[in-house]
Amino acid sequence: MILLDQFLEKSALVGNENRIMKMADFKNEFKKGDFEYINAPGFQLFFDIRAGEKGIRSALVEADFAIAETGSVVIDSSNENLRLATCLAEKLVVVFPLSKLVDSLHDVAEFLEERTSGMGGYVAFITGASRTADIERVLTVGVHGPKEMTVIIINDL
Amino acid sequence: MKIQTKIDEKLNDKILYQNLKGFATAYKASKENAYKGLDFEVLRTIVHDLKDRDLNKVMQQFNQFKENVEIHGCKVFQAKTGDDACRYIADVMKNHGVKYMVKSKSMTSEEIQLNQYLEKEGLSPIETDLGEWILQIANEHPSHMVMPAIHKTRQQVAKIFSDYTGEEVDPEDIKAMVEIARRFLRESYFKAGIGMTGANVAVASTGTIGLITNEGNARLTSTVPPVHIVLVGYEKLCDNFNQALDIVRVLPKSATGQIITSYVSWIKGRNISYKNEEGIKETHYVFLDNGRLAFFEHPKFKEALKCIRCGSCANICPAYEMVGGHVYGDRYIGSIGLILTALYQGDEAAKDILKMCIGCRACSFNCPSGIDLQSLISDLKLVVGKKYGINPIKAKVFKTVVAKPKRMKSLLSMGASFQFPLTTTHKLNQEKIIKMVPMLPKEMDFRKFPALAAKTFSKRFFREGYDQFSSHRKVFFYPGCAIEYFYPEMGLAMVKLLQKSGIQVDIPKKAACCGIPAIASGDPDNAKTMIFNTLDSLNNTEDYEALLVLCPTCGGAIKHEFLDFTKEDPDRYKKAAQLGQMVTPVGKFLEDNNIKFQVIDQKKVTYHTPCHDTRSLGYSAEVFLSSILGSQFVPLTDSNVCCGFGGTYSLDFSSISNGILNKKIENIEATEAEILVTDCPGCVMQINGGLMHQNKAVKVLHLTEFIENHLIVVE
Ligand code: SF4
Ligand code: SF4
Repeated sequence: MILLDQFLEKSALVGNENRIMKMADFKNEFKKGDFEYINAPGFQLFFDIRAGEKGIRSALVEADFAIAETGSVVIDSSNENLRLATCLAEKLVVVFPLSKLVDSLHDVAEFLEERTSGMGGYVAFITGASRTADIERVLTVGVHGPKEMTVIIINDL
Repeated sequence: MKIQTKIDEKLNDKILYQNLKGFATAYKASKENAYKGLDFEVLRTIVHDLKDRDLNKVMQQFNQFKENVEIHGCKVFQAKTGDDACRYIADVMKNHGVKYMVKSKSMTSEEIQLNQYLEKEGLSPIETDLGEWILQIANEHPSHMVMPAIHKTRQQVAKIFSDYTGEEVDPEDIKAMVEIARRFLRESYFKAGIGMTGANVAVASTGTIGLITNEGNARLTSTVPPVHIVLVGYEKLCDNFNQALDIVRVLPKSATGQIITSYVSWIKGRNISYKNEEGIKETHYVFLDNGRLAFFEHPKFKEALKCIRCGSCANICPAYEMVGGHVYGDRYIGSIGLILTALYQGDEAAKDILKMCIGCRACSFNCPSGIDLQSLISDLKLVVGKKYGINPIKAKVFKTVVAKPKRMKSLLSMGASFQFPLTTTHKLNQEKIIKMVPMLPKEMDFRKFPALAAKTFSKRFFREGYDQFSSHRKVFFYPGCAIEYFYPEMGLAMVKLLQKSGIQVDIPKKAACCGIPAIASGDPDNAKTMIFNTLDSLNNTEDYEALLVLCPTCGGAIKHEFLDFTKEDPDRYKKAAQLGQMVTPVGKFLEDNNIKFQVIDQKKVTYHTPCHDTRSLGYSAEVFLSSILGSQFVPLTDSNVCCGFGGTYSLDFSSISNGILNKKIENIEATEAEILVTDCPGCVMQINGGLMHQNKAVKVLHLTEFIENHLIVVE
């Protein structure tokens, strides 16, 4: 599967851990208690808190799409708590079913149009941990947001 | 401070030198990687075209954007000037009784000097981008658009942090420094009453902005505080998401060599906000004019408004690499910085910095928005040159000598006869050079100057009977000043080679300068005279297969600048256009005519690509040479980076020119080649002069001389 390989290559390039697994294995391995914040409606998994200044340890969220061209996940983040959690978690885990993987940036143009045509809207492309190279061009992760990111692709959905 | 003093200060800054040099090398490699498998030309044409619009169109986009956000209760303010924008933002802060405003990186806010304004009003903007924050607490301004603190070392940052925090900071541990920033800045998002961001794109169809960032500070800035202010220039507008994504595709690749940044955020209007009393975000859009709107109607300068602020035109600029953004630019930096300084702050502010451009055209070929930056700079140089005057000595020389072919010829041939006591033979390669130039300032003494040829090219051409050869196959050859007065052998080598292949070579009856020295110095009037002289000296095209040049800069002038300068003279314009199409560098002519060569010795050879070969004439002899030489050919690192010559530039900004040359020489030495071939007499003058000055035994040859001495034609 060319798209998947392309996605994995690009996602690994930015230091993500990539996992491919079946739905059942995902349910076995990732338990509710492992995360301080969860928003994965496609998996009926929720755990809501409002992350504050101290940040949180970890967050699990579901992506609406993933883009093979760039290795990015696309997350509708108009929910403020979801946005705070993904901004402030030390470890970010993003899950999506393989069927949501698209080829190129332009494949999500319509989605962006739809999700931001109302009163408010906030969609994020996320490609790796928060990073900076502002001191001597040395790449350092976790400058404001997550220090690590894991991507889980469910291949039987 | 005078520009020369500033330049010297930067050139003596070893840290800056190392940082910028390291960055330039790393950047080129990662950018190439990021674009792998993609067609850069196609992508940048898309961006160029989507940004190609007149004032009417931009205002349509603006009105659509405005409607889309106002309908939901957002505020839109049109700021005519930078001060208007600053005042509006200060008022929003005051009306909310807010002291702290967190900011994510915005070059537009640097343009209007927002922080200074707010601080004067007793308000506290806090930069949250790491680089910007370092500079804010150090009280400095950015030296690069994407990497603002590139001029700082870790030790310097550690010192800034420990002064600011009162904590001890390990001067080697970058990770720990980033942690400090995380800790201090985290607090600020929560104490700030307002968050301000810029926008990389503003999508008219929905009223959405796009932010392209790595650190995640823009996400927090636009999320946590109850009020969001967006400061954006009109030029960031685009029609829809397809266009916005075309920009997202190229911007990170050209900016930092990343395929995409960690975050691209698409933000629209009024989101839920727990910190806002009404439970919903208050959002303001400040659209900045500050001179932009006028230029949407300018036939040429409207190009500058296509910039997507990737910073690439600084990253690949050899002159920027020597002095950094505190000198090379002003509020905006790099090649586009020179231009925007002139457009936004006025030509007075730009007149000195414009001269620092060496004219290598690397920026024009690297810009992901397809802006021909060098030609805009060249135009602006002419504007300020005419308005403020140019170096009076140069002006005089151009007017009384170079623009008068006859006088130039007699003066230089007199020079050739009387220079004898000043010349010597360099012991390494037996070339005739000037022993010492009387009263040459020390900083200009970084290369040997070739002696004037005893007899000019034209004189030898006619005297030695090369004009007697006739054939039905004919080319016309324009020698240009360097071949005419310094390097006749290069021209004669070509003539002999072509005649052997049965091709007649004609040359102008009268030698004349192509005008580039005057254009580069900002002297349009004399440039025009020179161009007219040259045009009139060139035969019409009908009889010839090609107009050959050995100096790609002259060739580029005929192809491009001649058209600009003859616009009001239809006859000359027509001639220039016809000639322009026939301009051919000699290597290309040989390749096109399938003239085959074989090498006759075992010498290791490398090749320097002259700027104007690839970038003005679309040709490089590298493939030609490497296919003939096989394993004897060693590629030169950064072969297509400028050698630092730039004609009179090497005298005006000798220290920058010398710095650029030294890098070239380092790369040449690393190849361990015995011969460096190039096909521009200017590059030969610079590189050979530098090598001789440093007593390095690499032989520098123009392509034609190399062919004459090291290759034979095979049937
Ligand atoms: S002019 Fe072109 S290369 Fe320079 S910053 Fe703008 S888009 Fe980038
Ligand atoms: S032409 Fe060359 S020297 Fe001038 S701004 Fe562009 S890259 Fe820099």
